[in-house]
Amino acid sequence: MKYAIETFDLTKKYDDFTAVDALNMKIDNKSIFGFLGPNGAGKTTTIKMLTCLVQATAGTANVAGYDIAINPNEVREKIGMVPQLVSLYSDLTVRENIDLCADFYGLPEDLKVSRAEELMELVDIKYAQNKIVKQLSGGMKQKASVVASLIHQPDILFLDEPTIGLDPTTKRVLWDLVEELNSEGRTIILCSHDMYEVELLCDEIGIINGGILAAFDTPRGLKDTMINEQKEKKSSKNSDVITIMDELRKEGGVEDTAAYDQLKDKIERKNRDLKELSVMISNLDENMLNHLNDIPSIHEIVEHDSGRLVMDIESSEESVSEIISEIIGQGGNITSISTKDPSLEDVFMSVTTKNKEEGVNDG
Amino acid sequence: MMVETKKIMWMVKKDLLVLWRHKPRLLSLFLFPIIMITLFGYGMGGTINNIPVVVVDQSQGPITDATLSAIKGNTLYDVKSITSDPNAGLAMVQNGQAKAAIILPTNYDNLNDTSQKSIVVDVDSSDQLAASAIIPATQGVFNQINQQIAEQKLQTTSTPAIGVTTNQVSGSSGNAFQSILNTINLQINKLYGNITYLDFLVPAIIGMTVLFGCVFGMGEIVAGERERGELARLFMTPTSVTTVIGGKIISKLVQETGRGIILIVAAIVLFGIIINGSIMLTILLLILGALCFIGFGIMISARVSSQEDFMQSVMPITMPMMFVSGVFYPIETMPWIFQKIAYILPLTYVNDALRAVMLKGAGVGDIWLDIVVLLGFTALFFLLGVTQFNRDI
Repeated sequence: MKYAIETFDLTKKYDDFTAVDALNMKIDNKSIFGFLGPNGAGKTTTIKMLTCLVQATAGTANVAGYDIAINPNEVREKIGMVPQLVSLYSDLTVRENIDLCADFYGLPEDLKVSRAEELMELVDIKYAQNKIVKQLSGGMKQKASVVASLIHQPDILFLDEPTIGLDPTTKRVLWDLVEELNSEGRTIILCSHDMYEVELLCDEIGIINGGILAAFDTPRGLKDTMINEQKEKKSSKNSDVITIMDELRKEGGVEDTAAYDQLKDKIERKNRDLKELSVMISNLDENMLNHLNDIPSIHEIVEHDSGRLVMDIESSEESVSEIISEIIGQGGNITSISTKDPSLEDVFMSVTTKNKEEGVNDG
Repeated sequence: MMVETKKIMWMVKKDLLVLWRHKPRLLSLFLFPIIMITLFGYGMGGTINNIPVVVVDQSQGPITDATLSAIKGNTLYDVKSITSDPNAGLAMVQNGQAKAAIILPTNYDNLNDTSQKSIVVDVDSSDQLAASAIIPATQGVFNQINQQIAEQKLQTTSTPAIGVTTNQVSGSSGNAFQSILNTINLQINKLYGNITYLDFLVPAIIGMTVLFGCVFGMGEIVAGERERGELARLFMTPTSVTTVIGGKIISKLVQETGRGIILIVAAIVLFGIIINGSIMLTILLLILGALCFIGFGIMISARVSSQEDFMQSVMPITMPMMFVSGVFYPIETMPWIFQKIAYILPLTYVNDALRAVMLKGAGVGDIWLDIVVLLGFTALFFLLGVTQFNRDI
């Protein structure tokens, strides 16, 4: 099975409001998929349809090889879900909740016991198995919820905001768990607003907005797309400026042609593949700066202050190597190097804002 | 101070806005008190009238006519039938068609007969309120009739044409005069013994407790669990609606039957209530009533998403049901519209059956109609509840 989940024009309408509009996406088997979107974008509705908690209005989906409309019980056997709000019975103990879920999945008694023990040890909650759920902390409840969702060893695990409200330590425990579960061969579907979490864990990301899948790629792919789009936008603007300058020259409006050519060259260079490089040099001085100014792959020194040098450089591995070699050659003592890429949050903002501008309903 | 006032005003404004934006709650807010006051005013607030009675006339004549006219003219009575067969009259009381049978004797119209005219009133004492109204009113009616008969007799004795009677009177004038005055002997026959208001109330209170326990309980365990996401956890598993609902029905049924039994035991121990019929049949009726109300609770909770919505949906039905179904007041004495409403509410049949068994000692054969109606309601509620159940979370 290549895809863990495959949707076909999956749609959900509530009266006149379309929460999810003809969604088509394919999620690789045994991958960690991040499902992002602004509040009310249709994420949770999609997850509910895929977990057979809500019936689709139109279209369908294959989950773990089964059609959600035709074989919902087979789908339910193959999936587990850790909901946004912990949905354990708050007046039962952790163990009672786990046993209840195991019996609802029809696990034999011996398997139920061994799996419960194993999973409780995995998430380190065994010591609290006899505690009433409502007496537990948020993190403990979430761990118990994870155990209850994994008791039947699902192939696909849906996590809806699993770390919301958790402290950083507990978050990391859950992240490690997600990676471990994935390494065991499970597909993980992670809904989250925590971009760091998504970037850290996910192989692929889908961004839904206004019920429509607005972006779908690897985290690197999404960033590259954004960089390319930004470049295209910049390039288009610069081309317009050059066209105007050429018109001006034709009309005889340019007196200093040398200065004109220099300016035009600078603008044209801006169209090239540039990226920001930041280098910390403990012994940065004027001589070094002057020397760096002569390196062709450095488009512009944007900032130099207290040993921090920020440059727009040509976007290639070679140019970075060349610049670093030159600095070292000049006796520069480099303490850190970083290049600035757009963050996943930048991508998210860009995709969702673009959709809004294009008139996608924000629902 | 100004800031605090502003905060208080905001709380008021917020609550009003929330109410305005939940139209069913708003509707319930206005409709509910109107329903309640209407039921109180028309159903319970007035005097008892229109108690169904049957009159057995075993003779024909002016006194019978005058008696029938007096009974019919009294708003307390609603004469359902006039028969000449005392057994038929008694049967009507026993099967609940009438609250009393007023049986006039065969010598009722015979003024020449000096023996007392024994009128038997068979009262359904299981309906304590109706019985307590019928007995004094009937005594009043026959006191008047007695007076009229006595006057007629006195006129008759002074007439030479009825000389035989005069002779008889002159034989012992004191006793004869007394017999004229005490012409009528009213014999009240309480069919089910001396039933107190508490005895009358207990079966219906049990029925009402089961109603509220089941309906509100189902609201908590279906709408409440849906609201808290607990139901979602169950529906994530390969489990059918029928299984989940079935489990909840059994659990609630056990609880409510237990509650009903505790109530019965408490009534017996604390207030000396006597169950004239079978205790087992009483418990079986409790179970049937509980099943019916659980079904009603499931039917309502099938489509609501929160406990608040559930409460707003059931309150306008359950509260009027409590007043209309004869818990505190006999249904027969209510205006006809409430009587009609009462007969489409299951609590009416639960109360009727429980009272019949607990107070009258009735068996299955006497309450079969109640049982059939309750089974019908139960089947309908479950059918609608399960088929309409919204599995979507």
